[in-house]
Amino acid sequence: MGNHSTAGSAEHHTPVYDLKTFEDLYRRMYPTLIKYAVYLVKDAEEAQLVLNDVFISIWKNKVQITEEKAYLFRSVKNAALTYLKNSRMQFRILEEEQIPLIPDQNADPSQAYQEKDRNRALYYLIDQLPERRRLVFYLYRIDGFSYKEIATLLDISVRTVEDHLVKGFQFLQEKVTRHEEEFR
Amino acid sequence: MDQEIWKLILSHVSGENNEENEIRLKEWLVKDPVHQQQFEQACELWNDTAEIPEQAGWKDSFAQIKSEVIKPDSVKATEEKRLKVVFKRWIAAAAVLGGTILLGIFFQNRRPAVHAEAAEWITETSAAGQILKVLLPDSTEVWLNSGSRIRFPKNLQTSAIRNVQLTGEGFFKVKRDVRHPFIVKSLNLQTRVLGTSFNIKAWAKKQPEVTVMTGKVAVSRDSAGTQSAAIHLLPNQKAVYSRISGKLHKEDVEEAADANAWISGKLMFNQTPVQEVFEAIERRYQVRIQSEHDFKGCKLTASFKNIALAEVLQTLKITLDIHYAINKQTIYIKGGKCN
Repeated sequence: MGNHSTAGSAEHHTPVYDLKTFEDLYRRMYPTLIKYAVYLVKDAEEAQLVLNDVFISIWKNKVQITEEKAYLFRSVKNAALTYLKNSRMQFRILEEEQIPLIPDQNADPSQAYQEKDRNRALYYLIDQLPERRRLVFYLYRIDGFSYKEIATLLDISVRTVEDHLVKGFQFLQEKVTRHEEEFR
Repeated sequence: MDQEIWKLILSHVSGENNEENEIRLKEWLVKDPVHQQQFEQACELWNDTAEIPEQAGWKDSFAQIKSEVIKPDSVKATEEKRLKVVFKRWIAAAAVLGGTILLGIFFQNRRPAVHAEAAEWITETSAAGQILKVLLPDSTEVWLNSGSRIRFPKNLQTSAIRNVQLTGEGFFKVKRDVRHPFIVKSLNLQTRVLGTSFNIKAWAKKQPEVTVMTGKVAVSRDSAGTQSAAIHLLPNQKAVYSRISGKLHKEDVEEAADANAWISGKLMFNQTPVQEVFEAIERRYQVRIQSEHDFKGCKLTASFKNIALAEVLQTLKITLDIHYAINKQTIYIKGGKCN
């Protein structure tokens, strides 16, 4: 990498993360975190801005994170709440009944099964779950949050968290059983 | 399967160890042989959703802050260039590695390290076709098989618990330090030792295995950060995690040394599924193998000691009765039958 690395100015800016680890952190956290942000601000573009603001501030302020996951989810929540307050939008959590039904008509399982990869096929199905159920699934299965932690993050009850997970897995099992042959 | 049963199963697979739930689950299981089948299917669903498939969505999003992050601002121009260079090199490295490190990565960091002050982690990666020896700060030696990587905190030596993360396959000679246990996390296994040598095989989507050469090792299942009860291994024993049952079990090994034969560049196969043989060759020789025949259920026993790819293929040609053609980095395999 030539002479650049030996430049004396490097000491002036020694981020806690180098760019590689920073990007790595972003890549790892993005899938669930973006869904969480969308859940909070109810708008995909705004959610991305909120999420990116959090990461930019970590980089710029050289924040030393000890509990990466907890810190990031908390920060996104705070940033989303600030955003909602500023934009004078009403922060209203949807009632359980408003959760749309599983969009089965969009599901084209053959498309998923053509990709032989079972894991990919499963996530293709998971991504068809209603927004909130999908978020709970990601928080639990990918990020390893407990029922209780998820309940706090989403301001819902532990029982509701469990209910979402159970229904999510039931949905998967039903689909897989129905298309057992393609899944083998 | 009704919701109550799913609750019990989730409690079981997440390693909650809730006695009452376990009893109820057992009662349900013995009631009907179909239940056992349903239970296994549920466990498979659990296992196969542990990782998220590689997605590209984050890249566009990250591109938006990349400009912000690299922007000079208070940073001097040289630093900016340095970062860009680093970044480019990383992209290049990532491209070379191709798919080898894609999955399994999400597992690596499921839980932040126990020693909270250690924010700075170092990653060492061995590219395809390369075997890399890494000396960790605590004098532990690690050999990384092609396409594997290890992450460890910079302050490993002073950590109360020496935590490292492995993706792929690695052979460890752990520096003995009884007061500071050494823990390797790999896929969904946690291996805990004081000082010993052992081999961990944890390729994405494969059954992870831990084989012990010397000393004593404790292996447990790591599920979303929760540990199952550990099983203890002695030399010439290995722990295998079954993706189907979601359970760990112990097996005796005839020759534990075979498990790390790869560190000297040898490829050793002992009744190894042919698909795995292909994968090992792909990693070792930096090639892709495309085969017409899926060789399902076929096994192969062979050992190749640092020999050229052409010779390896020649041997496969004879033993598996195949024809092959090489085009750049891809090997096309036609025909073939099981013995």
